[in-house]
Amino acid sequence: MGRYLIRRLIQAIPVLVGATFLIYLLTFAMPGADPIQLLAGEKKADPLVAAMLREKYHLDDPFLLQYWNYITGVFQGDLGETLTGRKVTDLIGDAFPYTVNLAIFSFVIEAVVGVAAGIMAALRRGKFLDQLVLISTLMVISIPVFVTGFVLQLTLGVQLKNSWGIELFSVSFNENDGLQAYLLPAWVLASTSLAYVARLTRTSLMETMRADYVRTATAKGLPRRRVVVNHALRNALIPIVTFLGADLGALMGGAVITERIFNIHGLGGLLAQSVYLKQGAVVVGGVTLLVLIYLVANLLVDLLYAVLDPRIRYA
Amino acid sequence: MRGATSAKWVAGAVIVAMAATACSTGSNDAGGKGGSITVVLGEPQHRLIGQDTAESEGSEVMNAVFSGLVKYDIKTNEPKLDVAESIESTDSKTWTIKVKDGFTFHNGEKVDAQSFVRAWNWGANQENVAESMPFFAKIEGSEELAPGKDKKPTAKELKGLKVVDEKTFTVTLKEPFSQFKTMLGYNAFFPLPKAFESMDSKKFGEHPIGNGPFQMDGDWEHNKQIKVKRFDKYPAEGRAKLAGVTFKIYDNMDTAYNDLRADNIQIVDKLPISAMATVSQEFGDRYIYKPESAVGYIGLPLETNPEAFGKVEIRQAISMAIDRDTLTKTIFNGTRKPADDFISPIIPGYRKGALGEVGQYNPTKAKELFEKAGGVPGNKIELGYNADGGHKEWIEAVANQLKANLGIEVTAKPYAKFGDMLDDLGAAKYKGAFRMAWSMDYPAAENYLRPVFSKVAIEQGSNYGHYRNDEFEKVMAEADKATDAAEGLKLYQKADDIIIKDLPYIPVFTYMSSAAYSKSVKNVEVDAQGQMDLANVERN
Repeated sequence: MGRYLIRRLIQAIPVLVGATFLIYLLTFAMPGADPIQLLAGEKKADPLVAAMLREKYHLDDPFLLQYWNYITGVFQGDLGETLTGRKVTDLIGDAFPYTVNLAIFSFVIEAVVGVAAGIMAALRRGKFLDQLVLISTLMVISIPVFVTGFVLQLTLGVQLKNSWGIELFSVSFNENDGLQAYLLPAWVLASTSLAYVARLTRTSLMETMRADYVRTATAKGLPRRRVVVNHALRNALIPIVTFLGADLGALMGGAVITERIFNIHGLGGLLAQSVYLKQGAVVVGGVTLLVLIYLVANLLVDLLYAVLDPRIRYA
Repeated sequence: MRGATSAKWVAGAVIVAMAATACSTGSNDAGGKGGSITVVLGEPQHRLIGQDTAESEGSEVMNAVFSGLVKYDIKTNEPKLDVAESIESTDSKTWTIKVKDGFTFHNGEKVDAQSFVRAWNWGANQENVAESMPFFAKIEGSEELAPGKDKKPTAKELKGLKVVDEKTFTVTLKEPFSQFKTMLGYNAFFPLPKAFESMDSKKFGEHPIGNGPFQMDGDWEHNKQIKVKRFDKYPAEGRAKLAGVTFKIYDNMDTAYNDLRADNIQIVDKLPISAMATVSQEFGDRYIYKPESAVGYIGLPLETNPEAFGKVEIRQAISMAIDRDTLTKTIFNGTRKPADDFISPIIPGYRKGALGEVGQYNPTKAKELFEKAGGVPGNKIELGYNADGGHKEWIEAVANQLKANLGIEVTAKPYAKFGDMLDDLGAAKYKGAFRMAWSMDYPAAENYLRPVFSKVAIEQGSNYGHYRNDEFEKVMAEADKATDAAEGLKLYQKADDIIIKDLPYIPVFTYMSSAAYSKSVKNVEVDAQGQMDLANVERN
């Protein structure tokens, strides 16, 4: 297993370098406006100011030279600067914790509530609870996240306070509220994945419940609880863990909409804005971080398989 | 049992989180009652230094933290002396400026003549790459500080600036400029304290030491907030009434508006489009709706496409074929007003109906003129716009009106970003008409003419049609030389008449600013650029 781990980690290096190169190339090759003009907004950038900025940030250099300068900087721990002179490491460092907190919170909600709902539905197949889970998840999947987000913001944040005087959730993210501040956004962010997890768990568990070894365990007279948790669920979890692992990365990157609605200044919004303003250094730095998280999450998923099913071995 | 144990642990964590939720009451009235408010802001782009902040978000903070030589009357937009005791000139070329007693920077330093000279010298030096550098080009000696790319400045100080005594300094301009006093209210002309010299400008920009009614309360917390508190040593007249203001940073005005409805923040000065339908019902007289400084045009590429737009009759025909009333009422829900002058209605020098007949909707006359002038090649016109700014609807409406009234084929051509369109226009690659807007830097009629229609504006300003007219230049120069304000204004209006006659751009509408505030504050006003006058705001 140690060798497997090392091999996987070494494999990550070319992926990372390749990713930065591609992203850098894409930002560079993006058609259209000059980033300096984008900074000036609706007015024309002054020619001299623009020329000085181009010179300062080496924007007139050929692409390969720019990339070389960037990547040598990265190896010295310098992720570059925005065109307004802010350090990219600061920007990402400020935004990252919010997105991580939000993603972890959503992940927990999605895993716990999703799996629990799936188990309940599977064990009460065709009954009221099963129907409830199926219908509610279908609804969540069909409504776009920004609609859910705005409706919840308006009803729980504005109307609850104005008509009932209850201030349970604030309209926008407020750091002083601690963990509570993440609760509503995390639910919104988790909602779609949660529905998928619930449905996946339901199907997967129902299938395993029909397996021979489960029937054997039941026939031996084991309590139902042990049969479900130790025998059926353990095997049924493998596809769910795969989904959750891939989803952790998606949560980090997909937070753009949720972060925007609840005014959380995380990585999602930072990246969206930087793509728009063609701030190459920020885009590359941020996306590389996301790639890294994807790689680690995938590695963890692969390692978890062995825990869930000891027959799976790594060489 | 490994699986089961970790599941318990996770469940435990969620219960703890839920419990934390239940305890907190979620009060987010940071700073709360007793004279503090929270207002909306977008993350400023540049360092918070007057010479480097030209965009609206940074300016909002700058106006609270700094005071300039003049400020603009909130109703008439005329310049009033603020830090200056007097600004005088006999020839509009050499100006003598006296600074009032009693103003100090937030670190205790006195605001004197040197504070302004220091700031302007810094702004004019190209090595500091300040956004507002072009504003100092009018002052004598500016080319020594900004000789151009790949050259080094040969001086550190502007020749045209001389400190006479502690309170007095003189400014010598390259050419006479009668509007110089009006220009001085702009951020670029704010002072800087001596402490700035020994500081890294980046660091200063995070925590500016100003001379305004509010001082910084902690550093600029990027993407979160900027807090300011009242500066108690500010001269009594103009001293802030609030103890503090938190500028809360939003990406999304819809969220800010919802926070306003829940009274979590008190003023939103740029309402989202989604709010327009209901805001007046919901906020009543706490909804501010007044003309703002920007004018929206259809621009015409006179130089790159003279075959189509070279004849003035064609331009007049296009103007008369646009139904501005219907456009502003149906597409913009009354959030724009039909334009009838190149100069915004809020500026001294604006004349109602100055456009005359060409500003009136008259499809018959339009068609007649259009046909008499021989139409356009291929009977086709393109209308370019940037798709990122909510222009699609009105441009398509104009396209339809032109199609119906002139009997030509009109296609709307979207550009992803405004900058993309500017690039194509600059490279003479685009030959169609295009949308354009101009918002003033300072409230002078001159600022609606020179930066958009003069020869120098082809290279350095917003003259994207490459319009040239020697008589216009001559009248503008004469107006600049005027020593009497009223006489100067008349000459600028004469220049405006030349533009109206030539019609290089077609003014379509003027913008309106819309703001709203919650029940817990009063005395809220926004200025011509849609910015809050925070020093006057009071808490109920």
